[in-house]
Amino acid sequence: MSTVTATAESAPVRVRPRRRRLGVVGVVGLALLILLVGSAIFAPWIAPYNPEESSGNPFAAPSRLHPLGTNDIGQDILSELIYGTRISLAIGFLAAIVAISIGTLIGTVAGYFGGWVDAVLMRAVDVVLVIPFLPLMILIAAYVGPSFWNIILVIGLLVWARPARVLRSQVLSLKSLDYIDAARALGAPASRILRLHVLPGVLSLSLAQFILAASNAILIEASLSFLGLGDPTAKSWGSILYYAQVRSAFLTGAWLWWVLPPGLLITLAVLGFAFTGFALEEVLNPRLRGMS
Amino acid sequence: MVRFLAGKGVQYALVLLFAVTLNFMLPRMMPGSPLVFLAGEDVGFLSQAQRTDLLRSLGLDQPLWRQYVRYLGNLVTGNLGYSFQKGRPISEIIAERLPWTLLLVGLALLAATLIGVVWGTLVAWRRGSAFDLGSLGISMFFESTPSFWLGMIFIAVFAARLRWFPIFGAQTPGVSLAGWAMVANTAWHLALPLATLTLITIPGNFLIMRYSMLNVLGEQYIATAKAKGLAERTVIYRHAMRNALLPMATVVMLNLGFIASGATVIETVFSYPGVGRLLYEAVLNRDYPVIQATFFILTVSVIAANVLADLLYPLIDPRVRHAR
Amino acid sequence: MRTVAILAMILIAVLATIPAAGLAQTGAVRIAIRRDEGSLNPYTYQSGYPGWNIMTLVYDPLFYPDANNEPIPWLVRDVKVSTDGRTWTLTLHPNVRWHDGRPLTSEDVKFTFEYVQKVTHSRWTPTTRNLDGVDAPNPQTVVFRLKAPDAGFRLRTLADVPILPKHIWESVTTVAAARAFTNTVGSGPFRVEEVRAGQFYRLSAYPQYFAGPVKVRELILPIVRDATVSFTALQAGEIDANARTLTPELVAQFEKQAGIKVVRGPGFASTLLQFNLEHPLLRDLRLRRAIANAVNTNLMVKLLTLGYAVVGSPGYIHPASPFYASGLKFEASKAKAVAILNEAGYRDRNNDGVRETPEGTPLRFTLLAQAENPLRIRGAELVRTWLKDIGIAIDVRVADDASVIDLVWPDFDVCKGRRFDMSMFGWSAPVMTRPTALVDLFHSSCQIGTINIGGYKNAQIDRLGEQLVVTVDSNRQKQIAAQMQKIVAEELPVHVLYYQDVIMAYRAAAHDKWVFQKGQGVLTKLSFVDPPKR
Repeated sequence: MSTVTATAESAPVRVRPRRRRLGVVGVVGLALLILLVGSAIFAPWIAPYNPEESSGNPFAAPSRLHPLGTNDIGQDILSELIYGTRISLAIGFLAAIVAISIGTLIGTVAGYFGGWVDAVLMRAVDVVLVIPFLPLMILIAAYVGPSFWNIILVIGLLVWARPARVLRSQVLSLKSLDYIDAARALGAPASRILRLHVLPGVLSLSLAQFILAASNAILIEASLSFLGLGDPTAKSWGSILYYAQVRSAFLTGAWLWWVLPPGLLITLAVLGFAFTGFALEEVLNPRLRGMS
Repeated sequence: MVRFLAGKGVQYALVLLFAVTLNFMLPRMMPGSPLVFLAGEDVGFLSQAQRTDLLRSLGLDQPLWRQYVRYLGNLVTGNLGYSFQKGRPISEIIAERLPWTLLLVGLALLAATLIGVVWGTLVAWRRGSAFDLGSLGISMFFESTPSFWLGMIFIAVFAARLRWFPIFGAQTPGVSLAGWAMVANTAWHLALPLATLTLITIPGNFLIMRYSMLNVLGEQYIATAKAKGLAERTVIYRHAMRNALLPMATVVMLNLGFIASGATVIETVFSYPGVGRLLYEAVLNRDYPVIQATFFILTVSVIAANVLADLLYPLIDPRVRHAR
Repeated sequence: MRTVAILAMILIAVLATIPAAGLAQTGAVRIAIRRDEGSLNPYTYQSGYPGWNIMTLVYDPLFYPDANNEPIPWLVRDVKVSTDGRTWTLTLHPNVRWHDGRPLTSEDVKFTFEYVQKVTHSRWTPTTRNLDGVDAPNPQTVVFRLKAPDAGFRLRTLADVPILPKHIWESVTTVAAARAFTNTVGSGPFRVEEVRAGQFYRLSAYPQYFAGPVKVRELILPIVRDATVSFTALQAGEIDANARTLTPELVAQFEKQAGIKVVRGPGFASTLLQFNLEHPLLRDLRLRRAIANAVNTNLMVKLLTLGYAVVGSPGYIHPASPFYASGLKFEASKAKAVAILNEAGYRDRNNDGVRETPEGTPLRFTLLAQAENPLRIRGAELVRTWLKDIGIAIDVRVADDASVIDLVWPDFDVCKGRRFDMSMFGWSAPVMTRPTALVDLFHSSCQIGTINIGGYKNAQIDRLGEQLVVTVDSNRQKQIAAQMQKIVAEELPVHVLYYQDVIMAYRAAAHDKWVFQKGQGVLTKLSFVDPPKR
């Protein structure tokens, strides 16, 4: 995911300009997102049971009562998945917010002020990018402990680097625009210029980066939860997979209804965000048009 | 070019310092004592004096700064310390495990790059076709899928059910093999983890290559070549691909952090005795020295590969060689 | 395209030859263990179970626990105990040899017990605290002089400490050196042939073993950290047995499988709800009783362990243990819980679903659970749901084992206090088999009640406990233990949830002579060799 954006900002493109359309990819992505967000919001109405309730026998196979069977303590898996949308999306969004906040701030400041500020900040970005992220996250997650907010913080603190880079180059190209030049020549203070001229220009790209970061975050959360470093009492898709694995779903044939669906949902969510993010980027960033 | 390399050198030194310091501080700040993994739950029966004895024999009673200085000194001399749990020098443990990770990661990198490059090239030539769209779909799917999920499904289907591949480990335990038999046994155990790691790495390479190729194909000189009536094959390979490969090289190197992360999860899922799995186990067991050393080695490896890339890149791309 | 096709064909050809080089059947018994156990010698093995069990395949203690956890003489041929219980005279078997051929004599025994007192070992240094001295008047005789009679001396010390070869260990003088020592010359039925760190151990039968022929020629112990992977491997035939107990959800499946035998027996490891008795609210016995009544342990056994467990006895001791105070049971009742709370003045005055004390403090507690143990986490979730029903709010906090220990049992030192409300906890099987377990668990002095992690204080328990420790007559031991259990059942410093059954699955074709050690499993020396004849 992120490798594509990296090249986007480092390799200049000469391509035929296209109309500003969302395209098939964007539509598909948006549709997926709407479906998932809808499930999250309307979960109490859609889900057949309260997922915290042991509504059936443990390890029950799919039946009319429980379309996806029950988990190890008799809770309905389908309901778990539906409510899981809330947790997984929430973590994705919140981590992305942390990441984008940091990334926008750093990218903007670095791009605008240039000089040693830029050098120092970009060094920080490089440091974060070079370090293998999952081992670092495993390390930190184990330290801070498995809780909902800790995971969000940990993911956010590592995912900000790439958006920072992208936004910085956007700011660099904005900086050379006439009206910004003029404002500076007129002596407007940096904070005013940043607020009124730079940020709006960067905001739309931030949005695209936000969605891509969320996509990343959902995948990372799944891995951390699966490894047992997430919050097992929060029913995210990753923790559903965690229980499926430690309760030997793969051995008993239960994997068909306990493992396949959550993994597919994660993939769909990540795809949905990615498609939407790419489409948005294409629409908003002229340099990327012509990619698909 | 020298300034470019020097600048990069400073950057990597900073990364190293940051990683080393973080390495040292984090485990020290973690709650929990390593005593349980020295002594098991019977440690509760030890007297205070005996406990202090144990702590002292492991250097945990010194003030923090002293521990740090000792730590840095050790790193410089290549002494990675002793594992509490295993009572062995860590450099020994890592020396045993690192080859497995390098094998897995190296082969995955190679395979994923090759496949990604070829696939990306072919698809770019046929932009907009069903092949293109299908490829995009498949690659996006694999890039969005959790690697551990893919791994567990492979185990469930190909190892547990179909019995085509073994379920865990790098070699069949207890059996001493040599020569071709050993290579074959290793390859057989490597198949599934390698397949999983490669599958999730290909999409990134594929997309970049495709994008890069599309750019190149839009260039004037390609149009000229086509106009000259050159065979499709020649145009693709002789002209387009070689130029398209240039940005590819940087991306492949950026991949390394990603692959090291992927390898950690996959080694855990497949019980593959590499360094990634060692880190995970050490964190769970609060084996301080092993956590530090493993993380350090992983970071150093990634940096080393980056350095290699930075040194080799000018050789590939003449533009950089002569630029600043 | 053509090049690609050729490459693909070569690759397929290569792959096709590989499976042939895969699984060569060695005729050895392959038992998966879950973690690295160092060099498998007494100072480097890691876990109580199965580490100690495997280490004692290579080394022998003077006694060894039989299938009923009674210590039977092993290296020892004859025992004489003085009437005051303070002098133990043991006669060794004459023909015991170390793996390097040298004879095992009383010098080695004397050396071993002096060694573990000097070179700290977490498990054995404490149990030898009571030793005044060890004498070796002749090569076949050892005399132990105790400071005070000790009820647990035979099981806890003599059947626990493995004998070290003096000629090899006398030069290893510090703890650090001992923990790094890789020598594995012992006197046991198996020799360590190969240690591939992090991957497996290979042991081969010692043909000159003094007690007789070893029933298995070779043991291979692959380290498989992941439970699911280890059972998948057992099912697929890649291993023959598992040191881990079979998880409940797999029992039905494994029982159906051809070639696999499943044996089941009561387990002595306990799962319990631990209270912090120093907590201002949990100090109230009525509150603890109400909480215990709200936790439906029968349903818990059904949901968590699918019925493969024994419901907890409120006196801690397992019903299958010889020390169990017969008839002790806890009947949970939600109605009773509500009644107790109402009577004690805990009501929900502000209608937020949570009861408050008469002073207004809400009944809100944190319940800790170890991350590595999914059953405990699920158990915590169930407790949370049930307590919510009676108006007590529970916040489940999952943390890794080390962090939980840090709060509940900091530095494994009960004297260091505690910082928690409630925690899911448990003790391993050996704690149940010692008659003095009740003292370790409930004595108020932190030097004596070394695993009294709740900080429980009761003068009567203390008195009885001190008596128990010096009582050598087993009937009298049982009486005192029964009294202690009754008090514990009344006061509920812990609420014992269940004892999970030990279920072992193995491939009968590889080895079928496993001996099931009550409460613990089949990984005992007795599965591989018969006890020596007197």
